[in-house]
Amino acid sequence: MSYFFQIVVSGIVVGSIYALAALGLVLVYKSSRVANFAHGQIIAAGAFITFFLTVRLGVPIFFSFLASMFITFFLAMSVERIFLRRLIGEPIISVIMVTIGLASIFDGLIYLTPFGSENFSFPAFLPTESIVVGGVSISWTQLVGVIITFVLIGCFSWFFKKSTVGISMRAVSDDQFGAMSVGISVPRVFALAWATAGLSAAAAGCIIGNITGLNFETLHAFGIVVFPVVILGGLDSILGAVVAGIIMGLIQQFASGYLDGNFGLNGTGDVMPYIILLIILLFKPHGLFGIHEIERV
Amino acid sequence: MKSKATLFFNAFLVIMFVFAFTLPASAGKTYKLGMSLAITGPTSDAGNPYAKGAEDWFKFVNETDYLGDGDKIDCPIRDDQYKNDTTKRFFEEFLDDGILIFLSYATGGNLALKRDFEEVQIPVIPASYHEGLIVDANYTFMPVATYSENAVGLAEYVVEKHKGTDTPQVAFFIHPSAFGRGPLEDTRKAIAEGLKIDIVEVVEHGTDLDNTAMLQRLQSKGVQYVICHTVQTPVATMLTDAQRLGVSAASFGEKGKLTFLGAHYTGGSDLIALAGTATEGYIWADSYNLTSEKNEKAKKQLELAERYGRDDKAANSHNYAAGILAAQIATEAIKETKKAGLKINRENIYKTMQALNFNSFAAAGPVTYSPTERIGVDVMNIYVAKDGVFKKIQAFESQYIQKVRAGR
Repeated sequence: MSYFFQIVVSGIVVGSIYALAALGLVLVYKSSRVANFAHGQIIAAGAFITFFLTVRLGVPIFFSFLASMFITFFLAMSVERIFLRRLIGEPIISVIMVTIGLASIFDGLIYLTPFGSENFSFPAFLPTESIVVGGVSISWTQLVGVIITFVLIGCFSWFFKKSTVGISMRAVSDDQFGAMSVGISVPRVFALAWATAGLSAAAAGCIIGNITGLNFETLHAFGIVVFPVVILGGLDSILGAVVAGIIMGLIQQFASGYLDGNFGLNGTGDVMPYIILLIILLFKPHGLFGIHEIERV
Repeated sequence: MKSKATLFFNAFLVIMFVFAFTLPASAGKTYKLGMSLAITGPTSDAGNPYAKGAEDWFKFVNETDYLGDGDKIDCPIRDDQYKNDTTKRFFEEFLDDGILIFLSYATGGNLALKRDFEEVQIPVIPASYHEGLIVDANYTFMPVATYSENAVGLAEYVVEKHKGTDTPQVAFFIHPSAFGRGPLEDTRKAIAEGLKIDIVEVVEHGTDLDNTAMLQRLQSKGVQYVICHTVQTPVATMLTDAQRLGVSAASFGEKGKLTFLGAHYTGGSDLIALAGTATEGYIWADSYNLTSEKNEKAKKQLELAERYGRDDKAANSHNYAAGILAAQIATEAIKETKKAGLKINRENIYKTMQALNFNSFAAAGPVTYSPTERIGVDVMNIYVAKDGVFKKIQAFESQYIQKVRAGR
């Protein structure tokens, strides 16, 4: 039975980290209707900034973690200000192409540093022994990762539901012209959406980097790996990202635990989430929590 | 009249001055080579130190007049970012420049250009040790033992060291590509030839954040050994999970636990950088001499790195050693061709390479080629990760790989 519960725990751990990584994509899409293809690069940048501050400058890791979120907050805000603001009102495809271009630029910049082609790992700052309860184990890294994920997701949910800025962001997401007519600054909301996405990406990067080690290719791949999570949850739903992340994590672990290596199957842990995604989208084309917009003419 | 004479005299002085500086430079010949590899992009964690190793060796050759007579090697190193089409373009440009030897990189790029190498008849030294590169190929000179030799050798090592009379239960953890699958197929052929292991399961990994389910499944099937053939990152994640779950064997072959082993690109200082203490006990097969051995060979490698201002990370990387060895093979081929009094061209270099035999400080054993043998260093060292470094356990040479090759 512990085999089953271990898989459940691992699925939740993996899924919650997917959710955090997906959050940045949701935030940008929610406000600007743009899929950000440079998200993985920001995840990687956040992880490397934390590493640099901790290892090279000797800053305690907790402060490095906060500082990296702060830096990526302004980095993403600057990206929006310099490259994307002038594209407000332009066709979405143009904006998406710009994010693809940005991904290439970030790649190039990171390749200029040792982080582009070397492997690193964070210094151990948590106990290395696992926590074992009833035969089910979880590492401190995973536990802290899950706690940070849920705290951040809670904060973002509160921010969008209760704060004035968050409500104005939702208003822009619903109807840009309507929001403008009541005095909301759409460019400011866009900048803030990118900035918060940068912040969450840095948090995700640090957590993933703690689990997999710091390798640029692995880290920035997560910007793409979490796309199915965002689509399943509904592109503009934070709750959707959380639920879909955990569903994906559980499917992956259960497929890997019960299907792989049996019945002549292999690699189902990677494929099965996509199969389930396709099935769900057949019935709910806007994802589990996505808004189904009806345009009346 | 006087001014005309002065003018001629001045012109003469200028010409003499120019000659004085150009003559020594033109006294030696320059031999062109070309190298294409991933300095950035996927696998650049291996390609970057590899390029540094080759660059440093060629600089050393030129600065110390290693070839004699002031002869020099000109080897531009181009970054193909692990893209086969870019590699092909660079190769064609190098051909236009009249290179003598092509120093190539990835499995995919080499497989894509395999026919071209035969057609152009150019000696090639790859950074990929995929067995398929030397099958039905005459011009590819593998620097060290192939991935298949690593995998089959590790399986033989398991049989040799396994305690008990039962057949060792083995799982393969491989990259989902030809690079990963090739050695697995050769291990299966070795089993057909009589190698006594059972391959219980083959895992082709993805971008995994957690391998708990996979590790538990392997244990439930009675797997005792996991042979890895991929790159370091997925192995690092797996080892970290194994450590967390407490399923890593404390000693080789410990009952009820998993002993992890891996081929060339799975190990090294990069794996330790990624997985830290979870690497302890990892068994790794590689044909390079490691600086952690602290022997005379290692000293020479560190001296070279220091001479060209490389940091510790590059200096101690086995990929840095691999780059040096590839450059040394090319250098020795030119040197020996010259020594034999032959004209330096592709044809004669190729002839020389077929009988090349020398010792390198970067490798675990001597480099020996013959008209029928296209692998330079046959021997591999079995290393174990201990106290944060890989230490040599023993030298090992696969016996079954010869049977596998004979059966092709």
